[in-house]
Amino acid sequence: MCKCKCKIAKALGKLLLKLLAVVLGFFAVTFTMYIFNLDMKLMAVIAPWLEKWYDHLEHNQYI
Amino acid sequence: MKTVETIINPKKRVGEESPGKIYSDKLKVRARREWRGVKDTFYDYTRWLYLLSVLGRFIMVPRNVKGFLRYRWMMSYLFVPHGMDKFTIGLRDEALRIAHTSFNFVIADVTQAIANCFRGDRRVGNDTEYSDKCVITDENSMVTFMMGFDKDKVHTILREVPTMFASNIFHQFNVMHYLDVAQEYGISGDVCPMPEAEAGISIDDDFCVLGCCAVQNNTTCDGSLMGNGIIAKRLEREYGIPTFQLATPLRHKEPDVLEYAATEIKKAIAFVEEHTGEKWDWDRYFAAAKRVNYATKCRIAQMEINSTPYPQFFGAAFSLYNDTNYMGNSGRDPQFVKIDRKLLELAEQGYKAKRMYAKEYRHRAIIWGVQPQYVIDQLYWLLQCWGIVPLTDMLSVINTDMIVDEDTPENREQAYRDMAMLNMEMIMRNHTHGGYKVLLDDLWELCEQMNADLVMMWEHMSCKALTGMHGMFEEQGRARGIHVMWVSHDLCDPRVFTRQAIRDQVNKYMRTVFREEPLDPSLEIIPDNEAY
Repeated sequence: MCKCKCKIAKALGKLLLKLLAVVLGFFAVTFTMYIFNLDMKLMAVIAPWLEKWYDHLEHNQYI
Repeated sequence: MKTVETIINPKKRVGEESPGKIYSDKLKVRARREWRGVKDTFYDYTRWLYLLSVLGRFIMVPRNVKGFLRYRWMMSYLFVPHGMDKFTIGLRDEALRIAHTSFNFVIADVTQAIANCFRGDRRVGNDTEYSDKCVITDENSMVTFMMGFDKDKVHTILREVPTMFASNIFHQFNVMHYLDVAQEYGISGDVCPMPEAEAGISIDDDFCVLGCCAVQNNTTCDGSLMGNGIIAKRLEREYGIPTFQLATPLRHKEPDVLEYAATEIKKAIAFVEEHTGEKWDWDRYFAAAKRVNYATKCRIAQMEINSTPYPQFFGAAFSLYNDTNYMGNSGRDPQFVKIDRKLLELAEQGYKAKRMYAKEYRHRAIIWGVQPQYVIDQLYWLLQCWGIVPLTDMLSVINTDMIVDEDTPENREQAYRDMAMLNMEMIMRNHTHGGYKVLLDDLWELCEQMNADLVMMWEHMSCKALTGMHGMFEEQGRARGIHVMWVSHDLCDPRVFTRQAIRDQVNKYMRTVFREEPLDPSLEIIPDNEAY
């Protein structure tokens, strides 16, 4: 009975550790993105390409 | 000249002292985000995550990807977090939470508006059943005539808000293409760039096409009438969407125009009923009227707090939240009540704690005139760089009267007049039209009421409604001992006045007239002319 309880506690502990690692990993990655503004820096790289994309689209201009 | 007592902030700012360091002359976005101390940085980070989740959920829908790739104005979607950062410069504590609570809600609302547009759009979602229950309304129009309709059955589509209005806030160059298109078409360059850009979007066929009908409004000026004409022609003749012209009197202070305006509202309601097949419901209207009154009470309370030495809810977030709540919502969505309450609680909490958001408060300013979209965050800069507290802006000084909210036979007739009054006194029309009383007298009363020593006059160089009174403002300001600081801009076109050119006008006035040095010299010149 005691052994069984220990096993469950160990498994639970491992799970919690894994969960903590995931949360910390998520926080580390997203917080780095946030504080160094990496999300917007990436968008600033994408934007000129997107502009070219919009330029090539055919529009039914009203003239 | 009138002076106000300088208040020194007894508390040292948590986190970095000077937000000027986060700008970069090599990048089109900020080099990094502001460090606000552990508590506030973590809060700002969680709000950033929330925004990403709103944007992420939007782009997960395939038709939204299709719409994103079809419409040029969707570029602004990429820079929403960048836009949000503009609204929080130097803020901590309650003001930071107020800016996020109000503006995050506006962003979520506008994102939903885009999703609705794409759902019904003939080129993107083409959900005809949905589209047949959509009513396109003017961006600068009050939606009071929709207050009695079930918002889940009749959908109000303010398609110009994400396309032009919000788009220019998040990405300063985003409407330049449409201005060029309009001018290539033959519209002169000195027209107000807002309706001109809207006309350009229509000429470029870059508006979503949906709805069973549309309601346009003679918003505020000749420019808007010109733009509406072009847009309505395309809507009606090309896309077969019948368009109602809600003709609203401009001299809204004259009592004899009210009956006429009320009749126009009745006609607009009948038009929507005819085309959507849905019926106006008085219970729904009076429930919405109660929410309008609650929003008005909260706004008055916020203005009262701003009249004290410790203002809390100010700047662009105040203006844009009021814009969305008062005009775009008009009591239809109960969610705004919760946000109104939360914002007021935060403001009261900040006021009780005597919270200040800069090292010093040197001047108390009323912001008058029409604000530029692409540098709408300048009000926060005024506070951080020069210690000028922006107490309120012209567009937020709107109706303070309560409307009838109990269902009786007499009140039903009065309700039409209330809707007409709200529509006549909507945000842009309230002070730019209606004559001398609303543009000048109201301003001086407000200066008195809020103890302001300075008026920052946004001089929108293409707005004929305001520039005509330049001399009167000067003369009357001088007579009352109130400084009038003129700051020119071109509303949506950063090529005419860059952001720094706008700030330089303030810098020059503060140094030469007030003979003051900036609170934070790192903010005097910011390399963001080329930034989004």
